[in-house]
Amino acid sequence: MHYSPVITNADIAAKDENLHLFQYVEDSKQCEIDTFVSRGGYKAWKKVLEGISREDLINTVKASGLRGRGGAGFPTGLKWSFVPKDSPKARYMVCNADESEPGTCKDRVLMERDPHAIIEGMAIGAYAIGCHLMFIYIRGEFDHCIDKMEAAMEEAYAKGHLGKNVYGSGYDLDMIVHTGGGAYICGEETALLNSIEGERGQSRMRPPFPAIEGLYASPTIVNNVESLAAVPHIINRGAEWYASIGTEKSKGSKLFSLSGHVNRPGNFEVPLGFNLKDMIYNPDYGGGMLGDVPLKGVIPGGASTPFLLPDMIDVALDYESLQEKDSMLGSGAIIVFNENTCIVWILKKLIHFFRHESCGKCTPCREGTAWLEQMINRIEAGQGEAGDLEKMEEVCGNILGRTICPLGDAAVMPIQSALRLYRDEWQYHIDHKKCMVKSNFEFK
Amino acid sequence: MSEAVKKDQPKVSVPTVTFSLDGQSVTVPKGTTVLQAAKDVGIHIPTFCWHPQLKSVGACRMCYVEVEKMPKLMVSCMLDAMDGMVVQTDSDQVRQGRKAVLEFILLNHPLDCPTCDKGGECDLQNLTFKHGVDDNRFDFKKARFKEESMTTTFDDKKIGPEIVLNRNRCILCYKCVRANKEAFGEYDLGAFERGNITQIDAVPGGEVCNPFSGNLVEICPVGALTNSDWRYKIRVWLTKTTPSLCNFNSSGSNIDFYKEDHQNKIFRVTSRTNDSIDDGWISDITRYGYQVINSADRLQKPLIKKDGKQVEVSWDEAINFIAKKYNDIKESVGRVCIGGLISPSLDNRSLYSFSKMIRTVCKSNNIDFRGDYRMLPNNPDSPFGVLRSQPFSIAEIDDSDVIVSFGSDLIHEHPNEYLRIRKAFNYTQPKIYSMMPYSVKSADVANIEYVYTPGTDETAINAICLAGIEENVVDASMATEYIKHVVPSTLKDASALCGLDEAELKILARSIAEGKKITFLVGEIVTRSKARDIITAALLNMNKLFGLSSKGQISILARYANSKGAEKLGILPDPIAPIKEALKNDFEEYPESEPRNTDGMMAHIRKEEIKGLFIVGSNPMMLYPDKEFIKESLDKLDFLVVCDLFETETTEAADVVLPLAGWAEYDGDYVNLEGVCQSAKQAVKPAGESKAAYEIVRLIAEKLEHKTFDVESIDKGVEACLAIDTTIKLPNEFLDIKAESEDVTGEFSHPIFIIDDAHHCGHLTEKAPSLNNFTAEAYLMMSEELAAKNNMQENDPVRVESEVSKLILPVKISESLDSDVLLIPRNFQSSPVTSLCMRKRRIDRVKISKVDE
Ligand SMILES: Cc1cc2nc3c(=O)[nH]c(=O)nc-3n(C[C@H](O)[C@H](O)[C@H](O)COP(=O)(O)O)c2cc1C
Ligand code: SF4
Ligand code: SF4
Ligand code: FES
Repeated sequence: MHYSPVITNADIAAKDENLHLFQYVEDSKQCEIDTFVSRGGYKAWKKVLEGISREDLINTVKASGLRGRGGAGFPTGLKWSFVPKDSPKARYMVCNADESEPGTCKDRVLMERDPHAIIEGMAIGAYAIGCHLMFIYIRGEFDHCIDKMEAAMEEAYAKGHLGKNVYGSGYDLDMIVHTGGGAYICGEETALLNSIEGERGQSRMRPPFPAIEGLYASPTIVNNVESLAAVPHIINRGAEWYASIGTEKSKGSKLFSLSGHVNRPGNFEVPLGFNLKDMIYNPDYGGGMLGDVPLKGVIPGGASTPFLLPDMIDVALDYESLQEKDSMLGSGAIIVFNENTCIVWILKKLIHFFRHESCGKCTPCREGTAWLEQMINRIEAGQGEAGDLEKMEEVCGNILGRTICPLGDAAVMPIQSALRLYRDEWQYHIDHKKCMVKSNFEFK
Repeated sequence: MSEAVKKDQPKVSVPTVTFSLDGQSVTVPKGTTVLQAAKDVGIHIPTFCWHPQLKSVGACRMCYVEVEKMPKLMVSCMLDAMDGMVVQTDSDQVRQGRKAVLEFILLNHPLDCPTCDKGGECDLQNLTFKHGVDDNRFDFKKARFKEESMTTTFDDKKIGPEIVLNRNRCILCYKCVRANKEAFGEYDLGAFERGNITQIDAVPGGEVCNPFSGNLVEICPVGALTNSDWRYKIRVWLTKTTPSLCNFNSSGSNIDFYKEDHQNKIFRVTSRTNDSIDDGWISDITRYGYQVINSADRLQKPLIKKDGKQVEVSWDEAINFIAKKYNDIKESVGRVCIGGLISPSLDNRSLYSFSKMIRTVCKSNNIDFRGDYRMLPNNPDSPFGVLRSQPFSIAEIDDSDVIVSFGSDLIHEHPNEYLRIRKAFNYTQPKIYSMMPYSVKSADVANIEYVYTPGTDETAINAICLAGIEENVVDASMATEYIKHVVPSTLKDASALCGLDEAELKILARSIAEGKKITFLVGEIVTRSKARDIITAALLNMNKLFGLSSKGQISILARYANSKGAEKLGILPDPIAPIKEALKNDFEEYPESEPRNTDGMMAHIRKEEIKGLFIVGSNPMMLYPDKEFIKESLDKLDFLVVCDLFETETTEAADVVLPLAGWAEYDGDYVNLEGVCQSAKQAVKPAGESKAAYEIVRLIAEKLEHKTFDVESIDKGVEACLAIDTTIKLPNEFLDIKAESEDVTGEFSHPIFIIDDAHHCGHLTEKAPSLNNFTAEAYLMMSEELAAKNNMQENDPVRVESEVSKLILPVKISESLDSDVLLIPRNFQSSPVTSLCMRKRRIDRVKISKVDE
């Protein structure tokens, strides 16, 4: 039994040779290094140290088409190539395991059930940028993940996969498991770096980008857990193989965290381009709407992504297709809600989260999210006033694109989208001083 | 007044970029921000979180500009100008963006401007007035921070001895926290919580009491941080400013005094930014030291001792009495035999006229300005004099690639220079080294801190040289020559003697040898040491061996507001030849008599060869490191005149006490440690009947029929002296250095060092209530380890005993100290640490015991 008994599609992944992240996640032995190695673990790391040049390595990852799974979807190999080759400073590889976006809980599964895969990916990434000290920054509340990662790290050291002169290659690599500062913003890469430095978790302006000036003002690469976990497979099976999975522009497989009013909430690995409708209704995945209450909408990529209406869900889950629908793939957290859910109530929950998690550094996000929360709360309580919606739109406009980090945008994009897609419901709240939806459904 | 010669900065050609700013083509060095470029051409872009001395963070979003081809508004404080950029600073979109930011900031701002001390000088008021909101769209109750214990509507939270925080007014520009960390290296203030309840506060359980804390108030753009000393006293627009200088440090921090027309008192001090000296930061001593001037304890009238009691008299009576005593001494002994001791914090005019009086009216060379240093050398070209005279520039710290601070507790002695080094640490990252006989906080910016055994200063320096020789980074023939002059002569012996690590010494030696531009500054540990000549001889040898001064600067820093001026004006028993020449030209006659410094004078007073003494502004009874020696000496005098702002132990011993005006009460010029002459203007009328020293001197001199003490004549003399280059040539030969050894035997085993507290300087600041709010009494500072070993805890009373005296002091545990050295501040009259000292000792030693034992 796993610590968090979340449903996965490991059975499907085990049979599909293109799926690789979830293959062994239902086998608790996978955490043990011997089992991991017996299934081909650390083979890629050894192969890299036995003679792949940094340049070739970066080119392989570039060619695979792997894009960051932390939310922004930036090509991983390209990011690695930004680290200056001639910098006299130390370089750092940081694995971002702060997973805190509402709805997202995929990295947790990997950390709990396949921790060595992450270490192997981190090690290869570290080598690619010439880093000798790598960090994994784990969300502070994830006690269990922290324990698992620490135990795995110790095993890796003991078996010589980490430490001085790894595999006799002359390459030294150390690792630190760093626990998070207890804030969503600490998952934003620059705030994360501040947090590791012992500073307050607040975002930094870019440029300079971390690849040039990151941790301790040295070149640093921050990558998501899932992005790094895919890397060993790319090395073992080749860039072409990886690139053959998924769509033309969105390559590889991706973990999705499905939650909300579905029969089978869980984490599923699918090739990019998988159909969203299928994800919700296929019995192997979501298994349809809970209690057969009709669908009202979907948040496809985590709390910060714009909504999809029921008639928009026949869409491929990849970066481009969702963009065409004015939404985003984000971190892959699909939140499904049915007709009994009040849209104003959803936004109330979301803005509460973002207001509470704003790091407080820049004026528009800090002050604007609080104002928006006050206005949404008022509307939800049936005390909205004429003009409130227009005012909210203006305030959103004064935040969007005007902040230091994307949290400001993340806070307003769902509001803007909800105001656009569900306008009549907002208006009803204000005009009738009550909710259009008869019963309030509480998320479980 | 001779202006400082500005050193020519080497002009390196930097690449430039050209871009369009509001239609104007602007060319700036690459790396310049759009905001800075706009400032340079006089285009105003409003800002809240930007500060010229801090790294920009882009937090407030007030400085938006619109850039062609960039979809979003950009913050100009973090946008580097680039070739071909087309920037608008006042387009519709920019105006809209700024307005929105102001609206956001004002949403929950209390708008209690009528009772806010910042009113009238508030960035938020001013920018709202200029760019502001014309409508209030916020129809919720304003959010309030409030301490539960508070009864008023204000969120007034005392977060430090002198700082009150009002979180409701705070606009979270983070300037205070950033300055504290970045510019001062302090961590006593922080930001807490997140989102809209983010708040500034002192760290839990602590208070904001660092030596630079007042700056935080000054840079706060709103009234969120206010000074206790200024709160609710006066509206700023009713005050006028007078440009002045700090009287408590040797850099001459530029400041403004604030006063109101109808009241003869100073209300506050703020910095008057001078980038070549202070970068706009001033220490708390500089900020609150003015309260000395306002003090109700100021001496109001002259006093004469009658029947053993000092009674108030008129100036006429006092001056007549002095003249009579002068003549009595002259008649009874047959010559004048009077000496003079003056404070190096006084202005040029006062110093010069005093010297003129001693030399021409009293016809003697019994004169000194150093009343708190033991066993000074008499000859001006002693090694100490030579190194002391070497030029020093604060701004040169900025582009030094190696900075060594030797024997200086920088934060306490030279706060401005510490901040300057810290700036280099933040921006240009030179190699920084600190060398001290005990560990100091200022070493926080150092790559390596060297803590050598107390009393082995010259060996520590010798060890650097020997390390350089072993590393082969110095000229081989020089090395051979050098070795012949020094004992010990191997690195092994030297490092063993001074307790430093050979490998670490080699790193330092290599840095000095390889550095392209070096700043090597020497502080009070050397100046105050009885062995100052041996130590400086070692420094001169090092300088020669490494060719240091040919690629940088090495100097013993002047300590007081006008120490440099005193040296340049010849306020010494035997000034260097060119100064003596100038004095001879100016004075009607120059005395032939034996030159005697403070020690010499005291010795001759005890032999009854000097009968009278003038002391102006000095307080040797409190500050000379052998209290008993001074007391016995002064008791021997026939006649003692003391001028001071306050009653002191020294004035108590006087036959005549004259009330002295403070530096804010008359116009005066002061020469800072760089040799730059700066002016302080009169801000208020002198307290009571007090007078500036030069006026007092003139009254006495004219009474005794000496005519040329008028301001014009004195200024002419000053000008002639200041025009002279007083740098003494460095010796060509290596000097012989044999390490002094001192046997530490018996029970008195702990070395003590006399320090100035971080919030005090000399004997006057005890009269500034704000500074006493930081530290109000003396203490015995020791390492955690030593305290634990002796089972002593913070504030425990401890008996400190030397061979000659004892004191009881509360323990203060220091985080930075790590040896068995003890530190005691000298600033508190009630605990005269100098009573423990003997002037002939190189290191004073004590034993300690808990009082209850
Ligand atoms: C507010 C905020 C929170 C974020 N939280 C996470 C997170 O928990 N985990 C993560 O991997 N990336 C998170 N990111 C994205 C990171 O900043 C960064 O883009 C990512 O770690 C890069 O890794 P990738 O290239 O592998 O995706 C967050 C971004 C923002 C703006
Ligand atoms: S957008 Fe929000 S979270 Fe990001 S830096 Fe600004 S205040 Fe902080
Ligand atoms: S207290 Fe003042 S300086 Fe500090 S963050 Fe607030 S407004 Fe800025
Ligand atoms: S001044 Fe540029 S963001 Fe504050």
